Amino acid sequence: MEWLTRFLRMRWAAVLVLPPLLFFLAFFVGPLIYLFFVSVHDVSQVEMYGTRLTVENYVRIAGDPFYLFIIRRTLTAGLAVSGLSLLIGYPVALSMVRMSPSRRSLLFILLLFPLMVSNVIRAYGWIAILGRRGVINNVLSDAGLIQAPLLLMYSLETVVVGLLTILLPYMIICLVNALLTVDRNLEEAAQALGAGPARTFFYVTLPLSTPGIASGLLMVFLLTLSAYVTVQLLGGAQSKMLVSLVYDSVMTFVWPRAAALAFVLLAISLAVTTLMLKGIRPQRVQGKG
Amino acid sequence: MSTDMGGMDVVLRHVTKAFGSVVAVNDLTLEIPRGLFLSLLGPSGCGKTTTLRLIAGFEQPSGGDVFIQGRRVNLVPVYRRDFSMVFQNFALFPHMTVANNVAFGLRMRRVPPRERDTRVQEALALVHLAGFEDRYPKQLSGGQQQRVALARAIVVRPTVLLLDEPLGSLDKKLREEMQVELRQLQRAIGITAVFVTHDQEEALTLSDRVAIMNGGRIEQMGTPRELYEHPATDFVANFLGVSNIFEGRVIARQEDGAARIAIGPVQLSIGWEPGLEPGAPVRVAVRPEKIRLGLPDEPGGLPASLRHVVYLGATTHFYLEGPDGASLVVHVQNVSPDTGLWAPGDWVSCHLEPRSVFVLRKR
Amino acid sequence: MRHTSWTLRIVTLLSLVIILGPIAIVILVSFSPSDFFAFPPRGLSLRWYYEFFHIASMRGAYLLSLEIALIASVLATALGTLAALFLARRRGAVVGLLNALFLSPLVFPTIIIGVALLLFYRRIGMPILPGLVLAHVLIGTPYCIRSVLASLQAFDVSLEEAGQSLGASPLRTLFLITLPCIRPGLLSGWLFAFIVSFGELNTALFLTGPGVTTLPIEIFAYLQFQGSQLVIAAASTLQVCLVILLVVSIERLVGLGSIVRSR
Repeated sequence: MEWLTRFLRMRWAAVLVLPPLLFFLAFFVGPLIYLFFVSVHDVSQVEMYGTRLTVENYVRIAGDPFYLFIIRRTLTAGLAVSGLSLLIGYPVALSMVRMSPSRRSLLFILLLFPLMVSNVIRAYGWIAILGRRGVINNVLSDAGLIQAPLLLMYSLETVVVGLLTILLPYMIICLVNALLTVDRNLEEAAQALGAGPARTFFYVTLPLSTPGIASGLLMVFLLTLSAYVTVQLLGGAQSKMLVSLVYDSVMTFVWPRAAALAFVLLAISLAVTTLMLKGIRPQRVQGKG
Repeated sequence: MSTDMGGMDVVLRHVTKAFGSVVAVNDLTLEIPRGLFLSLLGPSGCGKTTTLRLIAGFEQPSGGDVFIQGRRVNLVPVYRRDFSMVFQNFALFPHMTVANNVAFGLRMRRVPPRERDTRVQEALALVHLAGFEDRYPKQLSGGQQQRVALARAIVVRPTVLLLDEPLGSLDKKLREEMQVELRQLQRAIGITAVFVTHDQEEALTLSDRVAIMNGGRIEQMGTPRELYEHPATDFVANFLGVSNIFEGRVIARQEDGAARIAIGPVQLSIGWEPGLEPGAPVRVAVRPEKIRLGLPDEPGGLPASLRHVVYLGATTHFYLEGPDGASLVVHVQNVSPDTGLWAPGDWVSCHLEPRSVFVLRKR
Repeated sequence: MRHTSWTLRIVTLLSLVIILGPIAIVILVSFSPSDFFAFPPRGLSLRWYYEFFHIASMRGAYLLSLEIALIASVLATALGTLAALFLARRRGAVVGLLNALFLSPLVFPTIIIGVALLLFYRRIGMPILPGLVLAHVLIGTPYCIRSVLASLQAFDVSLEEAGQSLGASPLRTLFLITLPCIRPGLLSGWLFAFIVSFGELNTALFLTGPGVTTLPIEIFAYLQFQGSQLVIAAASTLQVCLVILLVVSIERLVGLGSIVRSR
């Protein structure tokens, strides 16, 4: 009769997990599978997609120099944003770790708060600063330093700067959490063995923070890939990225092509994720590698 | 299905519990009569907590049966068994007042509000916490929280009270006070109690009976005196206090029934037990306070050399090396000033009192 | 050492400036009395706020965003709590897989979720508003799971055992003991899901439609196609105020540090 109790207990577990599981299967896994399904069909003029199974959509993308150029630009921007956020974010994380807990909590709030403001508003902030009638041009022309307004918008650099400031808090938070787990004793042990502050940092602190570095880089990179509104508002037509192409493609209603492009974006995300984790190997620190 | 268990409130029959490949409880049989205060004593990992949880129902036995008041409860879920439990960390509901905590079990049993209030008052009075009804657990000290946990457990008048190292997180003085209160309470209500602890002093202080557990089995169960004076196995002998162990040989069975044994050059007569056939080897143990030290040339004693002396005020502990290199410990009460005269390096003779020599059975 | 710590402090300050600066500028701009932005501002005026409340599409978008956020966050909290209760104390390969599945929308490019749902909804004929709400439920649930899980992991199992030993069935234990004790996790999860839904862009881009717009999308459309941009500043400031209100609430209830740590 032992199976009876086990069965009853499983019924409990099922009650708990089935609603979210079914929801996720129906509205997450299912639609993704469907999207892939559509991407491997040919285009149809009347229906959403044709009847023939084919990889021609992917082949088209792989063979088109324009797409490849955009992909290259997307990767460059992604790497730039992640790299810069790491460079700037690390010192901030270091100073936060050395703060008193109450100060640190205050800074956490200051960093968390902008993340909850919609990206469109944060991008608009940069328009208000860099635009033709924005803060910078206003100040410079009022001071008589320029005659005509500077064109600071609609370039790749603008996009990178915008994304950097929007995603920097993610990086800082990831790093702080990782650095907080670095045992103070380890740093002190290194110093007792004769390592100065710089060597302690490079040989002890930095390596032990790799899980935070990995998760920060990953998070920022993936969010860059997905940041349509920021790219569109700050980059304009001159600085389109892969995500812009996905959007444009969807708006043409040529579903198989749009679906394929979306999956190319997904593939790039997965590839970068794998490479980054392999390269940085945070498991070593986490005790699993 | 109820069977007459002869006044036994809790019975475990051949109960086994395995977690994967780890066997926590191994073919355990235990009978606990009504009103008994039983302690389960043993080192960590011996299975005592698992046994308690098997009685409670938080674990299901892999084999064997559990009975509470004659009813087989293997398949009965925790919340339908008639017991209550005091947890090591008190487990008081932080979001409820003291009164609501204590009343919780009564609410579950659908006791009407007025009766509920009366019984809560009674229970709090019993644990000397009258007037604390509206406080919250975090406002109470450790000892007070412990008493609320106790009140909560007894107010429902359960058949069995289970206690899982409840005094472990209290400081020494408080623990000793609570031990006395707990025992008085249990006697006053007449409830059957099963108490888990790793602290032998605690077990010996509180219990009617103690079951010493090791490796998922009960090594020995008996009154505190029985266990200390007549340990059945090496493990029990060494777990409760210290023992000196000697290897000897049985010489003969005497006419008066006693067994004559030889330990080194010394011969003594001890109570006979099955297995003590002439010529058979025998292992015996003697408690440190039951060895008398004498001058080296005094006959009838084992020669030993003194290695280390520790003066402890009321007693002196002597650490010796026996004939075959064995370590011996002797505790002597500082009655006579002579004990201060012996120094490391001296030779002495150790005299064993035959009635305090007990035979060890290896497990 | 002092030299280093001054460098760190300066970098930290600069970082905060570039992160918070744009938002501060937007708030400042919203009070500008003139049609165009002048810096330094020549005075303060609430005209853009009046204008915001007068434009039906703006007002409507704000209200709809609130509505969607409310419904989506409640559903996300319900689903997230169930999932967290399941995941909290189990081990095993299946549980690990489920954990990964439930938390994946956090790292998954949301733009792709938007596209996939758009296609899916077209196929099954899902009406716009419920479709958008469900998309936000999907995106908000991981936040709730994380928040509730953190609370559950701090919650002592022996409290549940104590409840059961006193006669409470698993269901009563859940409602009388567990849920009250993890209330901070529930509330902060709900607030997170609300805020995320309110500001969400990438799925709303594809899933909004005629008559059904959220505030961020409305702001985006204005920025792309309309001339009068300063009313955007007012709309934005209103959203920022909402966020500030909610962030302060979370902080009061739970203390943000504990939530952020689980990242």
